[in-house]
Amino acid sequence: MTEQALVVFDGVAKRYGSFVAVEDFNLEIRKGEFLAIMGSSGCGKTTTLRMLAGLEAPSEGEIRLAGKRINDLPTWQRDTPMVWQSLALFPFLTVRENVEFSLRMRGVEKAERLRRVDRWLERMQITEFADRNVAHLSGGQRQRVALARSLVTEPPILLLDEPLSALDAHLKVRMQTVLSNLQRELGITFVYVTHSQSEAFSMADRVVIMSRGRIEQIGNPQEIYRAPRTKFVAEFLGSSNIFAGKVSNVNGEAIRISTPAGDFDVAPNTAKPLSKGDKATFVVSGDRVHLSNQPPSDGYNGLQASVVGEEFVGATAIIHLEGAERIEIKAQKSHDELGDLNLAPGAKVWVSWRPEVTHILPGE
Amino acid sequence: MPIIQSRKGISSRKSITVYGLTFSLPMLVWQLLFFLAPLLFLIALSFWSVRNFRMEPDFNPDNWVRMLGRSVFWEAYFRTLALAASAAVITSALAFPCAYGIAFKLSEAARRWAIFLMVIPFFTSYLVRVYSWQIFLSDNGIINALFAKIGLGPFGMLNSVFGTMVGYVTLSLPLVVLLQLFSLMFVDKTLIEAAHNLRCGRLRTVFEVIVPAAKVGLVIAALFCFILTFGDFVSPLYLGGGDPPTLSILITDTTKSGQQWPRAAVIALMMIATLLAVAFAAVSYAYRERGR
Repeated sequence: MTEQALVVFDGVAKRYGSFVAVEDFNLEIRKGEFLAIMGSSGCGKTTTLRMLAGLEAPSEGEIRLAGKRINDLPTWQRDTPMVWQSLALFPFLTVRENVEFSLRMRGVEKAERLRRVDRWLERMQITEFADRNVAHLSGGQRQRVALARSLVTEPPILLLDEPLSALDAHLKVRMQTVLSNLQRELGITFVYVTHSQSEAFSMADRVVIMSRGRIEQIGNPQEIYRAPRTKFVAEFLGSSNIFAGKVSNVNGEAIRISTPAGDFDVAPNTAKPLSKGDKATFVVSGDRVHLSNQPPSDGYNGLQASVVGEEFVGATAIIHLEGAERIEIKAQKSHDELGDLNLAPGAKVWVSWRPEVTHILPGE
Repeated sequence: MPIIQSRKGISSRKSITVYGLTFSLPMLVWQLLFFLAPLLFLIALSFWSVRNFRMEPDFNPDNWVRMLGRSVFWEAYFRTLALAASAAVITSALAFPCAYGIAFKLSEAARRWAIFLMVIPFFTSYLVRVYSWQIFLSDNGIINALFAKIGLGPFGMLNSVFGTMVGYVTLSLPLVVLLQLFSLMFVDKTLIEAAHNLRCGRLRTVFEVIVPAAKVGLVIAALFCFILTFGDFVSPLYLGGGDPPTLSILITDTTKSGQQWPRAAVIALMMIATLLAVAFAAVSYAYRERGR
């Protein structure tokens, strides 16, 4: 355990009868970091957060907060406030009373309570709504009330369970900025559960990707994006081309992998030493492949593919192609880069990339 | 085209209204015939005069003046009010732990059984249940016999406020539990988790979060208890002894003494006015929101 770890999950598992929600979960959450736990629904990310909050008891393993085992500590004795997806504001209390709630529960004296509540109302820019009923606020204002209510006690950690999923796209981006700034200014740990890649990657220092109750990969957004560990992660992020095959030749630094789509030179990965005959899977990110009418020059991997369709994403386009053996290939290019390439469905183009930009999945 | 469409919309909406009215018509007619008409008659009756034990249509405010000028009336009025209010508080307090347990501690299947069991008391006539309480509460009844075994008593439980209250609770407890239960079952569970998460312990959460969140149902349950007991005639007579009288007993006494139906109508109208005022106040309190 490093000195910086605020929360440690040590071999944690959660089962409901025979259903395994979380398994073999090991994670250190550092002091002051913005950590996102990401995965599709049912992957165990919310269960993990709820175990940390004390709303679920782990079936196995140990959770430590600031070095102390908290498995058996009831949630009202932990200092792990949470922001719910539904926000869970108390509808029978005003904005001010909602924010005041946990201070009142701790027996903070009235004058001090009001002082701290006022400070947080101001900080979250909701002072003018202080005496309103929470039901009469907009989505963004309610969000700010929920944040103020959780942060008013100045906890060392804040847990967020998909708090932005109910907001419209525009407000979502604004609240992301609010959250990142808040986390940076307060310097406390945020643990943010989401299924949204854009939310996780734009705010988090580190991202944990979960699938079927297990951690698939932990790393900073760039690492995960450039060097996914498993096929699941590569597919989940959705921007990579995945090739699976067998090592046909290892010659010093160069590894040659035979796949149904062709034979390709691939950069070695120190995390996954390979020898001839081994199964291997590698990825090439969609923004790193070139499209051309001509076959590639020496030193490039290439294959011929036919255009399936084009998808416009703002300034760039994603070209969907199909190679030999119906292998799907994606290329993300700016409109300039595409030039006068014929991209009519069925047109044949050459797809190429340098071996250096390939990444062997160490977890496959 | 849009004009034609909107016309079509109006006419179809109209036909829905007509359709709906047709179905609600029997209820409307029933209410007019058997509630509003008798009420109007009751108001008229309260101004009639009685001469030689015979009622005559009249416009005589004397009944009101006489009735509202008598201390017997006001004593009975405030006693009835206090008894019904106490019954509402006591029954609500007795019902709450039960409704809470059924709503939050039982499994889905067990909860269904509990709701079923709550309905069973309504199978037996209330009068029969009150008579059977006499066997328990009388001086040589079951409870005092048990007390006698350990050398205590006898306690005068029958023909007392205690007896009346036992009857009131018998009358309203199952209904109050059911009404409370249905409001507690719909309390958002994440509010309870959020309270725990914000350092509110278990017991405190009941009063800080669950009671306010279920307020509408809890107030309506207490209101029903008040309404049922305020007009009840059986418990104060057979378990409370009928003396001093409640308003319902006063009504029967008044009709018996010299055919004073008009004066009884005054009492009945005062009771209806009180119930309307209490119900209105209770509902406005139940739905009152905090903040702007």
